[in-house]
Amino acid sequence: MIEVTGVTKTYSAQGSEVRAVDDVHFEVKTGDFVLILGRSGSGKSTLLGMLAGLIRPTNGVIRFNGKEIGSLSEDKISELRAKEIGFVFQFSGLIPTITALENVMLPTLFSPNGSGSRSEALKLLKRVGMSHRADAYPRTLSSGEMKRVAIARALINGPALIIADEPTGDLDVDTEYEIMELFRELNREGKTIVMVTHNPDLVPYANRTYGMDRGKLVQRSDPFPFRMVPEGGAQPHQSDRP
Amino acid sequence: MNRKMDYLTFIVASIRNKPGRNLATVFCFAFIAANVFSAQYLISGASGSFDQGVLRMGADLMVVPSQYQWLFRGSGPQNTAALVKVEPTTFRFTTGTMDKMKNVTNIVKMSPQIYIAKLTVPDLSSSPVEIYGIDPVTDFTIQPWLQYPLDHSLNSGEVIIGNALSAERSSKITLSGHTYTVAGVLDPTQSAVDHTIFLGLDDAYTLAAAEGVLPAADPPIRRGDINAVMVQVVPGADPEMVNSRIRQPSNAITVIQRHFALDPTAREVQGLPALLNMISAVVIVAALPLIALIAGMVAHERQREIGLFMSMGAKRSVIFFLVIVESLVLAAIGGIAGVGASLAVFFVLNAQGFLTSTLQVSFRMPSAAGIGMITAVTLIIVITIGSIASLWPAYRSSMMNPYDAIRGGWR
Repeated sequence: MIEVTGVTKTYSAQGSEVRAVDDVHFEVKTGDFVLILGRSGSGKSTLLGMLAGLIRPTNGVIRFNGKEIGSLSEDKISELRAKEIGFVFQFSGLIPTITALENVMLPTLFSPNGSGSRSEALKLLKRVGMSHRADAYPRTLSSGEMKRVAIARALINGPALIIADEPTGDLDVDTEYEIMELFRELNREGKTIVMVTHNPDLVPYANRTYGMDRGKLVQRSDPFPFRMVPEGGAQPHQSDRP
Repeated sequence: MNRKMDYLTFIVASIRNKPGRNLATVFCFAFIAANVFSAQYLISGASGSFDQGVLRMGADLMVVPSQYQWLFRGSGPQNTAALVKVEPTTFRFTTGTMDKMKNVTNIVKMSPQIYIAKLTVPDLSSSPVEIYGIDPVTDFTIQPWLQYPLDHSLNSGEVIIGNALSAERSSKITLSGHTYTVAGVLDPTQSAVDHTIFLGLDDAYTLAAAEGVLPAADPPIRRGDINAVMVQVVPGADPEMVNSRIRQPSNAITVIQRHFALDPTAREVQGLPALLNMISAVVIVAALPLIALIAGMVAHERQREIGLFMSMGAKRSVIFFLVIVESLVLAAIGGIAGVGASLAVFFVLNAQGFLTSTLQVSFRMPSAAGIGMITAVTLIIVITIGSIASLWPAYRSSMMNPYDAIRGGWR
């Protein structure tokens, strides 16, 4: 589904060049559940942005279903995102001025097919266990509920790929478990999932795991080669699940 | 149940559920709308009043039998009042006088009048009522005073009555056994016109022939008799010159001339639109960057939302469109609010005569069609301002780097 070949992204910061992503090669196959593990600032979100065509790489090639993203116009990339990719962010990313149901329907505005009707949105809310809160505004939802609505929204246009950027970063352990189970179910139903996280507890959910540090990506081996705790930083929370 | 999401639903929901964010923008648009609407409303009202005032100035000249002047010295050759109707008099000539005047150049309009009698009509007034005959087709001094213009020429059996008489439009009145329908009521004139009934010439002659209408001492009125010819001269022509030309063929007539011109008043009224338009222009120019600034701040506040839209597949053109349309909706809401508030204020002020006393010009509320036109123009101006002011924020929003915006994070 996705082939990443020699991708580099550099930024200029305070007169010096920063390599956020450094010569990355990897592949995501249809039906994969890929986890990219790395601490904050490792470049994993930048890589995710490039996979979705939100960020243009400085060097290298990214192919999505055989099409080179870099060769597509902005409008074509937008169409690709609308049809093929569903996003779930660390923060819910729900629009506060509209209801949960309207949030789920929102991506249909931008899809060339525009297939998502109200009934389909309700079905998806039911699928994520949120149909009873369809008319609720985001401010009245808990973090876990918002995440479920965000997942339903990511599914409305029937994408083949779900990109999740730290989707459990702000959740308690129980809710994290519920959300990850939901992702697991989606993956079993055939959705390809690429998730970035700093939480090694999520490794068992993925069929392939990569580690990322200072822009470099390495397929996970045992023992994992990167230190997940920033020097002097707090310990990531540990869970006995799954 | 299968309704899909559409842009308008989303935009309206965004506005409705974030009133605080949009209040400043709506207020700015309302302020501009109120300003533009007020200026156009005042201009239209003052202009309408002036036009009506000109129409109600009556005749430039009044041609009467020469004996008339001896009797009514107050209405002498240099008359200081508006020439609307001839004084009650029995000095008459015939409509043949008008035939002679047809050769006089620089006359635009001529219309005859005849005074019939004073009648006691207790149903209409406690004081005697004057009865006049006018030619409804050529009349230009009486009918401009109508509260509501007639939708047809005054027919036989119809009358126009002064404001002090107690009868309403479409009601029936009886004069010496003849029944007439009130076709129109005049605005107050604070003159004898308020106690006068105007009939068509034919009806007037018929009434004059009825028994007991004319005092026994008065000479009878024959068909074709008239007391005066009201004359309007070509704008810009010298009334003195026309006056002397009318008098040339005969010593039997005299010409009473209105001794005041409308030019100074016209100049005063003409200054008002220029001033009000200038104030409107200043407000618009001052408000444009303010609205652009507010729109820019709102767009900045919403940058994460916009980044999220892009992650969902929104094209840059769609983002541009969304920001512009939201601004237009806010402009329309503000515009309607501003126009509504202005209308309410004007309605109250006008009802209390405040506008007339403050502006020192007779103020007449524009018609419903006029108000509709002013409202439409105001909304077009406000919406145009809204779209211009949101161009830059819309462009900035559409060119935003989506991933940077999204990763700000919010609940």
